[in-house]
Amino acid sequence: MNETEDPIVIEHLSKNYGQQVALNDLNLTITSGMCVGYLGPNGAGKTTTIKILTDLLRATSGRAYLNGTDVIRHPEAALEGVGAVVETPEFYPQLTPRECLSYVGKIRGMSSDAIAKRSHAVLEQVKLLEVADKRTGQFSKGMKQRLAVAQALLHDPSILILDEPTSGLDPRGMVELRDLIKELKKAEITILMSSHLLNEVQEVCDNVAIIDRGILLTYDSVENLSAGQEVTLTIHTLEPVSPQDFEVIKALQGVTSLKRTENNKLIMSLSGGAQEQSKVLREILNSGVNVVSYTPQHAAIEDAYLHLIPKGDH
Amino acid sequence: MRPNNIRQIGIVTRYELLKYLRGRRLLAIILLTVIISAIFLVVPPAIGSQYSKDPTDFVMNMLRFLGVLSILSATFFGADAIVSEFESKTGYFLFPNPIRKTTIFLGKFIASALVSVGVIALYYLIAVVSVQVIDGSVPANTGLSFAYALVYLFAILAVAYLFSAMMRSSVYSLILTFFTFFLILPIVDAVGEFAKFKAWFSITFASGIATDILRNPYPTDTVIATTAGRGAGSATAGQMISIAQYYPEVTVSLVVIAAYFIVALLLAIVLARRREM
Repeated sequence: MNETEDPIVIEHLSKNYGQQVALNDLNLTITSGMCVGYLGPNGAGKTTTIKILTDLLRATSGRAYLNGTDVIRHPEAALEGVGAVVETPEFYPQLTPRECLSYVGKIRGMSSDAIAKRSHAVLEQVKLLEVADKRTGQFSKGMKQRLAVAQALLHDPSILILDEPTSGLDPRGMVELRDLIKELKKAEITILMSSHLLNEVQEVCDNVAIIDRGILLTYDSVENLSAGQEVTLTIHTLEPVSPQDFEVIKALQGVTSLKRTENNKLIMSLSGGAQEQSKVLREILNSGVNVVSYTPQHAAIEDAYLHLIPKGDH
Repeated sequence: MRPNNIRQIGIVTRYELLKYLRGRRLLAIILLTVIISAIFLVVPPAIGSQYSKDPTDFVMNMLRFLGVLSILSATFFGADAIVSEFESKTGYFLFPNPIRKTTIFLGKFIASALVSVGVIALYYLIAVVSVQVIDGSVPANTGLSFAYALVYLFAILAVAYLFSAMMRSSVYSLILTFFTFFLILPIVDAVGEFAKFKAWFSITFASGIATDILRNPYPTDTVIATTAGRGAGSATAGQMISIAQYYPEVTVSLVVIAAYFIVALLLAIVLARRREM
């Protein structure tokens, strides 16, 4: 048992595949109710970490605790309160979603009543209720991903580990899953979520861990990582901005560059966080410019990511 | 509260059985069993021949495909049982649950054994009912024959699981299992007989006890000296040659089959436990 009460504690975790180092002395502690985005380029060690946490891989050295129990030494006990979606799992084509859920529910010791109630609830949450009694053999990748999320939620886990959870989902499915994760955050579930979609992480996560070549580069809140990063915004205006207004905007505090790309479109680089963005917008409006839209070109967190991950790692 | 390992084994077995019942393999092997039995029952009257009046000959004749059905059962229900969880990624669904890999292995093995026993039991049932109806009696050692057939079945199923735990591809595991028991070991047995060497260590040779036990008395090894005729291999016509016919001894064969079962099953469990996704 680990002395701290933090739901996910990773200590000096390493994983080697022969000479290749997949994880190198990883240390990460996730406090209760936190939603953490786990970012990094392909092969950075994200899935390796998640596979060790879910007992799909053995660590070369180090410890990983889930709800205080060492998952390397006592995986069955450690995984009791954990729901996981690793990659896009396949399901037995002969079984229906309801039977798949019943299978894992029984393994976890849930009663038949509880399985029936929770299966209905989670299948409804992931919009699979209509096909609950159809065999999974003909399911699309998106449907399998939804079912994977359903089985992860079945037993009301206190920890949710998600590996690229929106992979394979259509745009509507992605939005619905993001909304679902936001709902789960309200229920104080601790979530570790790996993703390539930075805007997704920025939207739903409290903290972000960035890993590359098996080494944790940073672990901080989304706000802190975004702050101080230069943001590029696209400003659409109703009429072309006059040369005088253009100069006024360019001179605003925080604005580092301003370009006119089309008559009604400006590209502005701005240093600072959300407050600075809000302040600049207010001043642009006060100057009499009719703004139609004011949109960051990419997630603020993307700048931090690109700054930390060297070119060529993507 | 997580169920104990025994209950979890039962849960895995139940769902594995459900998969088999809904799959095509079980249906295919049941159909094959019925067709093989039907051929032995339909062909003699169809060609104007009579059924054997000796119940032992009748049953031995009907059980001629016992080895093939056992090998097919082990191949269909064991050869890809473990490797498919990794290859087809269903392990991502099953393994991140609070259950030991050994528990999953044993649940799967019991399910495979149960369906395979069902197939062999059906084959024996058809033979027993047929001999009772046609000859009016059942050979005395039919029950023992069935027991030996099951012991052999469990052993080759364990070997099939070992291949399944070792191999990276379901197809390779299926091919390796089938050809090991259908071709490679029978060749070893045949070469042994030709070279007048008793292949007592071979599980396919040892499996002969399942049908030999029906004979009364139990057959013993024979080496017959005879004169070679034309086309007798390297011997010239008229030369004296000896032909050996070996029969597996019951006790030795049971020990050999049990050894295959224990060693293969333990190795398979160790490999399946250590395997990573």
